[in-house]
Amino acid sequence: MKRQILTLLLTGISAMVLAQTTLVKGIVTDKSKQALIGANVFLQDTYDGATTDAEGRFQFETEETGEQVLQVNYLGYDSLVQQLMLNGEAQDLNLVMRESFNELKVVVISAGAFEASDEKKTTVLKPLDIVTTASAGGDTYGALKTLPGAQVSSGDETGLFVRGGSGTEAQTFIDGMLVRTPFSTSTPDFAARGRFSPFLFKGTIFSTGGYSAQYGQAMSSALVLETQDLPDRSSGTFGLSSVGLNYGQQKLWKEKQRSLGVSINYANLAPYFWIVKQKPNFTKTPNGSNVDLIFRQKTKHNGMLKFYGYYSNGGVGFETTAPDGGIFGFDVSNHNLYTNLNWKGLLRDKWKLAIGTSYSQDWNRISSSYNVGFINPDTFKVNNSLLQVRAVATRFLGRLTSLRFGVENLYFTDGFKSDRFGNSELSDNYSALFAESDLYITTRLVTRLGLRGEYSTLLEKATIAPRVSLAYKFGDNDQVSFAWGHFYQKGDSLLRWQTQFNGQIPGFQRAEHYILNYQYIKSDRTFRVEGFYKKYKDLITTVDKLGNDGDGYAQGLELFYRDKKSIPGFDVWLSYSWLDTKRRFQWYPESAQPTFAANHIATLVAKKFFFKLRTNVGMSYSYSTGRPYFNPNRPLDEFLSDKTPAYQNLSLTLSHLTTIGKAFTVIVLNVSNILNQEQIFSYRYSPDGTMRTAITPAARQFFFVGAFLSWGTDRRQEVIDNQN
Amino acid sequence: MKKALSVLLLFVFAVSMQAQTTNSKFVKAMEKALAVLDTATTYEHWLDASNNFERISLKETKEWLPAYYVALCQTMAFNLSKDAEKQELFAKKAQEFVDKADKLQPDNSEIYVLKSMVSGLFIRINPMVNGQKYGPIAGMELEKGMSLDPENPRGYMQKGISLFFTPEQWGGDKVKGKELMEEAEKKFDTFKPASTIHPAWGREMNEAILEMANQ
Repeated sequence: MKRQILTLLLTGISAMVLAQTTLVKGIVTDKSKQALIGANVFLQDTYDGATTDAEGRFQFETEETGEQVLQVNYLGYDSLVQQLMLNGEAQDLNLVMRESFNELKVVVISAGAFEASDEKKTTVLKPLDIVTTASAGGDTYGALKTLPGAQVSSGDETGLFVRGGSGTEAQTFIDGMLVRTPFSTSTPDFAARGRFSPFLFKGTIFSTGGYSAQYGQAMSSALVLETQDLPDRSSGTFGLSSVGLNYGQQKLWKEKQRSLGVSINYANLAPYFWIVKQKPNFTKTPNGSNVDLIFRQKTKHNGMLKFYGYYSNGGVGFETTAPDGGIFGFDVSNHNLYTNLNWKGLLRDKWKLAIGTSYSQDWNRISSSYNVGFINPDTFKVNNSLLQVRAVATRFLGRLTSLRFGVENLYFTDGFKSDRFGNSELSDNYSALFAESDLYITTRLVTRLGLRGEYSTLLEKATIAPRVSLAYKFGDNDQVSFAWGHFYQKGDSLLRWQTQFNGQIPGFQRAEHYILNYQYIKSDRTFRVEGFYKKYKDLITTVDKLGNDGDGYAQGLELFYRDKKSIPGFDVWLSYSWLDTKRRFQWYPESAQPTFAANHIATLVAKKFFFKLRTNVGMSYSYSTGRPYFNPNRPLDEFLSDKTPAYQNLSLTLSHLTTIGKAFTVIVLNVSNILNQEQIFSYRYSPDGTMRTAITPAARQFFFVGAFLSWGTDRRQEVIDNQN
Repeated sequence: MKKALSVLLLFVFAVSMQAQTTNSKFVKAMEKALAVLDTATTYEHWLDASNNFERISLKETKEWLPAYYVALCQTMAFNLSKDAEKQELFAKKAQEFVDKADKLQPDNSEIYVLKSMVSGLFIRINPMVNGQKYGPIAGMELEKGMSLDPENPRGYMQKGISLFFTPEQWGGDKVKGKELMEEAEKKFDTFKPASTIHPAWGREMNEAILEMANQ
């Protein structure tokens, strides 16, 4: 027994004495033979290893023998693993590491697109920028007008007017699905704001052309909005401003798998109009209320189910003096319902699936009268709805390349009811199929090939729209991209034209885009220059007969420069757009520069956060040359040859951060047109052409004051939990 | 019977020997790595120290201390780095390891103080975007860290430093910050780490900043 123990001990000791060591040394570099300093080189499941020195060299000794696994870790690089056979012989290794996927080093297609996102780093804007831009007034569309490509002086017409396109040529998509009425009800001569709060969205892509085959029915522009995921915590919000109040509450369930939020808004401009006199006589001051509901649920397959529901009602009524001295009266009541349900998830880790459905309905009761007061007005009921379903499957091939397939079906209805003009109705079942590949030839070169097929039962026509983009990244900071494509769109007043032209329906209109873009982004400085040419074909014409006989073109050059570095503490951006466009469409008897297009537009936006005052100060200045207006006294060859005076707007916004009780509070003050300049959007003539009135904003300046409070419910514990 | 007992004893002895050697091997490796940490002055030193702890942490998956020190070394490397891209990677790695430590050793004062420091890194990366999210988080974590062990000098030091360097308008307070660092100095005098490898760092750092504050 004793002997056995002794033997055991002895063998143990001899094993220790005889343990051989192996020297492992070598060098760690990246693919371009640059030494990597501070890399961790070690044998898996042992303490043995070393850190690389200034030349990338390492060296360590180990007592391990036999087959071992060597691992190298270096921040920002994929871990490297290599089999080693250790038998006492020194090992000299040459280890080359591959850089991890880093979005900053990968080319992205930037032709035509401005993106705002917190998650992605290569974007030009952050979602916060939309809220803090002075001239935006908290409206997403207002902020987009400070970017090149969009008209700034379109205060008389609702919509985004992009690169010579009309307002209806720009469409909004929420989580991939088309939004039929993204704006509040518009009234003659006054542009309406966007319906949806910018805080709903975590990502915004404003595309001024050349967009993906995923999006259809937009000839000029696609605004792609992606809704927020689960919130960070449960919270409440309350806001009080010069135009109304709002209250909201959202709950995040404890396991952070589900959230539900409800908010109520009420707006009424009566108190404001009582203080700040308006030009028209408001018979019903603008007022409205809405409630919205947001639900989020994490699901299997790393998925997320989202529901967004919105209902609003409101109205406005006013009287203005017509050019001939008569009184024009207008009154509208609106109800709007919007719902969007969608799910996104991963299937077998190579497939991403996104499915969704959306239903929206918009009801308007409109009365208008001329010179008779509202004793016996013309009354119309104008309704529309859209029901859609959509599915997109994405297949990932390798780290970057992907293929996308999608199908969508949209059912549109339009209704018009009037005692005097009769009733009419129309519906369209529109379907589309699309396929697209994002093909990365290297991390520096990508091509996107897309094809979109569309069919409308109402138009009884099908289209095939090819789209191609490519982008090449020269160095770490600059890249060039190109986009080309066909973009089809139905007419925007089909019901009216059908009624007017004995049931006839015009076909699809088409735009063809060519875009060349150069972009330079380096730590807090962005420079972009983009040239484009756009050709319109088959635009709908309504002179004498209904047809697709119109055409046109738009070309231009746009510059964008943003700098958060050169002037300490200041964030400045500057955009300039030059546009040359002509078209013949709708009622235009001749080809002309349209009323919604100005030739030169420049915008300067500056922001600074004053730490001591805890106040963010934002300023924006826009300048636009005049836009053409229709003067009936001109002969045909001088059609739309008159232009309004140049437009200027200097706006200022202050947001002061503070706390009221336990609530994080932002106090906002916003003033538009500080210099109190006259802004003339267009002129309206009397039927005989002898008299005219200028179309201007309802008041020269707009003042906004508000306080917005937010607080977390049971925040302390949640904040800690959030970390785990 | 006797034989069986001997074998059993031998077995027990062997197992405990084994346990002791692994344990002492772990402690020894940790002490060696701590020696590098204690003398670290440059960015490269901190990376070397971090790598040592990372190797230990990958092998000893049940020990919280190596993960804790990896996060600490990454935080220090962040402070000495001027490359914004690298800083973000350091902050993310620090967060990964401090979370790992927290999972292995929940409700630990040292870990919560470090968590608060790591949240502070994210604020520094982008104050405008991250401040609103990480500001309250860092505050809560520090509060929790200090309440878990009121004798932990690093809690007072961290609170003192952050109060001292935060602008007054944002709730900073130079006088109070200095007082807390002085309080931390006293706590450092009486603080006894649980073992040779438990956190005991910070004394020199506290002195240096206090000295700077007094000028």
